[in-house]
Amino acid sequence: MDARILLVEDDPSIREVTAIGLRNTGFTVETASDGREGLDRFEREPFDLVLLDVMLPRMDGLEVCRVIRRTSTIPVVMLTARADTLDVVVGLEAGADDYVRKPFEVPELVARVRAALRRVGRGPDDEAAQLRLGPLLIDIAGRTVTRDGQDIPLTRTEFDLLVDLARHAGQVLARDTLLDRIWGYDYLGDSRLVDVAVGRLRAKVEIDPAAPELILTVRGAGYKASR
Amino acid sequence: MSWLGGVRARLTASLVAVVALTAIVLGVSASVVVDLRLHDQMLEAAAEQARFDLSVVVPERQLPDRPTPEDIARSGLADTFRRGAVETFVDLGDDARFQSDERLAGLLTLLPADMQARVDRGELAYGWLDVGGEPALVVGGRPAGGGPAFYFVRDVAGVNAAIDQLRLALAVGALVMVVFALVISRRVARSILAPVEEAGRVAERIERGDLSARVPVTSRDEFGTWAERFNRMTGVLADTIRRLEAAQHQNRRFVADVSHELRTPLAALVAEASIVGDHLDELPTESRRAAELLVADVGRMRSLVEELMELSRFDASAEEVAVEPVDVVRLVQAVIASRQPTARFDPPAPSVVVDTDPRRLERILANFLDNAREHAGATDVTVELDVSGGDLVLAVSDRGPGVPEDRLQRIFERFTKLDPSRSGGSSGLGLAIAAEHAALLGGYLQAMNREGGGLRLELVVPAVTRSLHDGDGPVTQAFESGTPTTTTRESAP
Repeated sequence: MDARILLVEDDPSIREVTAIGLRNTGFTVETASDGREGLDRFEREPFDLVLLDVMLPRMDGLEVCRVIRRTSTIPVVMLTARADTLDVVVGLEAGADDYVRKPFEVPELVARVRAALRRVGRGPDDEAAQLRLGPLLIDIAGRTVTRDGQDIPLTRTEFDLLVDLARHAGQVLARDTLLDRIWGYDYLGDSRLVDVAVGRLRAKVEIDPAAPELILTVRGAGYKASR
Repeated sequence: MSWLGGVRARLTASLVAVVALTAIVLGVSASVVVDLRLHDQMLEAAAEQARFDLSVVVPERQLPDRPTPEDIARSGLADTFRRGAVETFVDLGDDARFQSDERLAGLLTLLPADMQARVDRGELAYGWLDVGGEPALVVGGRPAGGGPAFYFVRDVAGVNAAIDQLRLALAVGALVMVVFALVISRRVARSILAPVEEAGRVAERIERGDLSARVPVTSRDEFGTWAERFNRMTGVLADTIRRLEAAQHQNRRFVADVSHELRTPLAALVAEASIVGDHLDELPTESRRAAELLVADVGRMRSLVEELMELSRFDASAEEVAVEPVDVVRLVQAVIASRQPTARFDPPAPSVVVDTDPRRLERILANFLDNAREHAGATDVTVELDVSGGDLVLAVSDRGPGVPEDRLQRIFERFTKLDPSRSGGSSGLGLAIAAEHAALLGGYLQAMNREGGGLRLELVVPAVTRSLHDGDGPVTQAFESGTPTTTTRESAP
């Protein structure tokens, strides 16, 4: 496992110990201490994953994430100081794939980083190479989604979520199940991850996201793709 | 407001009662006096007239000693008397009689015996009789020097009618007075009570937290004085409350700031300790134990700071409830799996869906379980879930030492440590936090000692069962502060 990770964190102690922890596990870690520097490094060098603190000098982590998302589907994991709804939801809506709450223990962080990277490394499955969901054509191998020939750009998390729902069209998938399959949480993950990701996905694939027709909410149970 | 209505009603009723009583007493006595006076006058006039007629008018006609009815008719006496509105009846003895009007035919039978007796004795007698269906005053007597008994009959219907009219007028007058009193007294009562009602409204505003509300001082009377005193008192109270609030705010602000400032170094410590903790074996023996303790203490510090921050958020009212349908059975199982896998849990149904905030429910249960682990070890911990009684009741029972009865309620207060020597990693804030979460869900916590030893902690959240929609178990709606919450999520068509 020699994935290259960009760590953007302003506190020197946290930055250093996090880098040590990740390097101990075998990752290559480059660091930046503010948002601008982080963005510069991201644009100059190739990375497999970005770890982004939310509160950063010069340019905050959310903004960095938004800029990255304009050009890239690289997994982004936010380091949030607070786990309250606003921070988490805003982070996920900025395009982050997952978040780790501070304070964190290094193994916990490593587990989240691995889960995010695992999804990237997921090769084409031996199942159908293409799936259909309503007017959407999902090319699993090429990781693209098109509607009427129009390409819809999705992040990896959104894509994986769409594929998982589409594969089980008509079947209700509980939030916990999705958390486990998409984000790799065994239990007690944050179901807001699912809700926000579904919201973002709908905004991209539904004609009217307020009245979804492809990805439906089943109250008290979870989500399902329409058959 | 009902007591105000009561005072107004009482005031009105007393005034109306006084007026009504006065009117009735006055009316009745007036009508009685007038009635008596009128009848007396009539009687006096009639007696005077009769005396004159019997002593002057009748002897003038020089009737024979034993006159016949024809003699009386011829004498023209009846016509003379009729001019004075008097009908005449003469008892001539031996069943012979004269009457000036047919209606007087049976007069003798109407006369009371004592009246006839007095007339026979030559005295003047009178009686109020009903003659031919009309009320009449009858005066009887014999002419001076003897002769037949004359009875003079006067119609008094007109007088009686006038008296009746007077009574009617008095009654109507009394009624008008009562109505007038009713109106006036209501008005007076309202004007007396208006400042009281105004003061009541001001008190309500103060109760709702508007400490600037004051009672208007509109008069120099007792109420005005009272209002001034009330306002002075409110001002003093408001000042005190503001000072206390400011002090409390500052205090909480300080706690929030401190824990906030501690967070960044704490985050570094936690990450660092986690790495040291992974490599304890590689440390030289001299420092290994110290490193072990360091790792444990960082953990303690972490929970303390995090709990302080959590409480600061409650104090700042920054917590919001995010209600969604939650399968409580699955949630309980997940929390048990992560916190205390040895705890026993026997679900009442395969699935119990409730509209609630899952993160708060998790937090409360986790804190219950932590408390049980700390005070009772991991042994014999039971989790129970019950939604049968309309409330959602989630209970954690242990077989630890329990809590002295007099301190049971205090365990939900901040920094309550019953046994400082056994506090372990606990901050003493866990149950206080759980209580805050419970309050946000509209519920409460309670603690009780179990029979046979041990403590039972209960979360009670109001909830009502609602109809199933997915058929996967009982569905219950949790209530927040007594009102049903609705989720804003869209549901599947």
